[in-house]
Amino acid sequence: MTLPTDVRVGLAAAALFVALPFAGLGDYWLYTLTIGFYYAILAASWSLLVGYVGRISFAQAAMSGLGAYTSVMTVLGLGWPVPLALVVGAAIAGALGLFIGWLSLRLHGPYLGLTTIAFAEILRIAVTAEHQWTRGSLGLSAAPLIDGATRPVLYFVALAVLIATVALLWAILRTRIGLFFQAIREDEEGAASLGVQVTLWKVVAFALSTAVAGLGGGLYAHVVGLISPTMMSLQEMGYVLAMAVIGGFHNIIYSALGGVLLQVLLEYLREIGEWRLAIFGLITILILRFAPNGLFGTLAALGAALRGRS
Amino acid sequence: MSAPLVLTRLSMRFGGITALDRIDLAVAPGEMVGLMGPNGSGKTTLLNVVCGYYRQSGGRVYLGDRRLDGRSAAQRARLGLGRSFQVTKVFRRLTVMENLLVPALTAWSLAPAAARAKAATVLAALNLERLKDARAADLSGGQAKLLEFGRMMMLDPKIILLDEPFGGVYPELKAFMQDHLRRWNAAGVTIVLISHDMGALFGLCPRVVTLAGGRVIADGPAEAVRRDPAVLDAYLGDHYAA
Repeated sequence: MTLPTDVRVGLAAAALFVALPFAGLGDYWLYTLTIGFYYAILAASWSLLVGYVGRISFAQAAMSGLGAYTSVMTVLGLGWPVPLALVVGAAIAGALGLFIGWLSLRLHGPYLGLTTIAFAEILRIAVTAEHQWTRGSLGLSAAPLIDGATRPVLYFVALAVLIATVALLWAILRTRIGLFFQAIREDEEGAASLGVQVTLWKVVAFALSTAVAGLGGGLYAHVVGLISPTMMSLQEMGYVLAMAVIGGFHNIIYSALGGVLLQVLLEYLREIGEWRLAIFGLITILILRFAPNGLFGTLAALGAALRGRS
Repeated sequence: MSAPLVLTRLSMRFGGITALDRIDLAVAPGEMVGLMGPNGSGKTTLLNVVCGYYRQSGGRVYLGDRRLDGRSAAQRARLGLGRSFQVTKVFRRLTVMENLLVPALTAWSLAPAAARAKAATVLAALNLERLKDARAADLSGGQAKLLEFGRMMMLDPKIILLDEPFGGVYPELKAFMQDHLRRWNAAGVTIVLISHDMGALFGLCPRVVTLAGGRVIADGPAEAVRRDPAVLDAYLGDHYAA
């Protein structure tokens, strides 16, 4: 049986990421890639909602922040172990996503986008304002993911979470649920006329997407050790959007790879400061205009075309 | 066995405009009924209300002894109400096979392998086998109409509501589609057909209902409706009476 192209690309990338520490990659770049894995989870979760269901959202970074704060405060306040707190963070983000999904059922395009921006800002402002709980913009210290873990250990744990998350999403999208998602994206009325429960699956997609973002946020918090409302900002959301679009937002694997790639480039181009953001913005526009399947989607299509010719 | 579709005093208003005005209509199981009328007479609105896209302003819709109003469009489809659209609503970025799998897989009891097997028989019946892996966006207008037919077949519908299925379709394909409709109908599927193609409508439907201004102005055997003065005046014109 031949594996689909996106899976082969994903497996090749996973093999490369596993090999890098053994090839002598230093702690600095391992840490950069670890953060890249967090962004990859966020980009994949955004791609699920936008690329597969056709529902735009600008609240993914805020949901990640919600997951992060929930997880950190669960450990601090209740003394629960970190893995369980991560699940709580994902569940709370998923529950809020369920609510937003339900509330915005009849909204489309710019109206839906603006609604999610409003929710994102409400969340960020609430976290900033509730100083006695969150320490506001000073940030909140998070318990380590694993006590005494070295950078390579954290790297492999984050990589494992990324692979498991993307594999789970990919598997869900290969079921009839994935087909319903895409039918809704293509034509809601047409899907409903064929028996697809459009309302249910739109809400489920929002909940699933935000739960994954919440899990990513929790992971980030316990890897980095400090979280602040900055991680919920619209600028962060802009990064996630650029990562997914540049990777290829119609495919969760390519979106995830876009997340890692852009994080590495962000670090690599640190010397040029804010200009790198302008460059990423330009690349995003060009990709949307000339290669809507994203970098990896376009390369995969080119590879397939070349194989077909030979 | 099919169930009768019954509309009682069905009304639909959009602000100050009355699109459907207290429509009473009963379609018996196994009937093939033509629905005609001038543009804006309420034909498509009627289908949209029956299918659940619009919530009626008044009246009721029954399928057998089940009330349909209050149920979602998806629930109505699962009860056996199939629908095609004036402008096709195929899922353009999905393949032909995936388009067919969507309605079949909404029945959770049906395994994907069984759904594929069912889709294969539908593809064969519609001569679309060679296009099964093509994206729906790459189909011609006629092929897209056939695909909509196929998707309805995958639902095993009791009643199908067709909105201008022959619009923009070349004559051979139109004949092929009409042949399929006759076979479906012979197999017990109830059909309600909207068409401005009078030859096809009167050729297929023993009974024809005419709407004008959101009201039923004629309902009866096709030949009688064709000569009905109210229908001639509102829609057909004198040359159709000949």
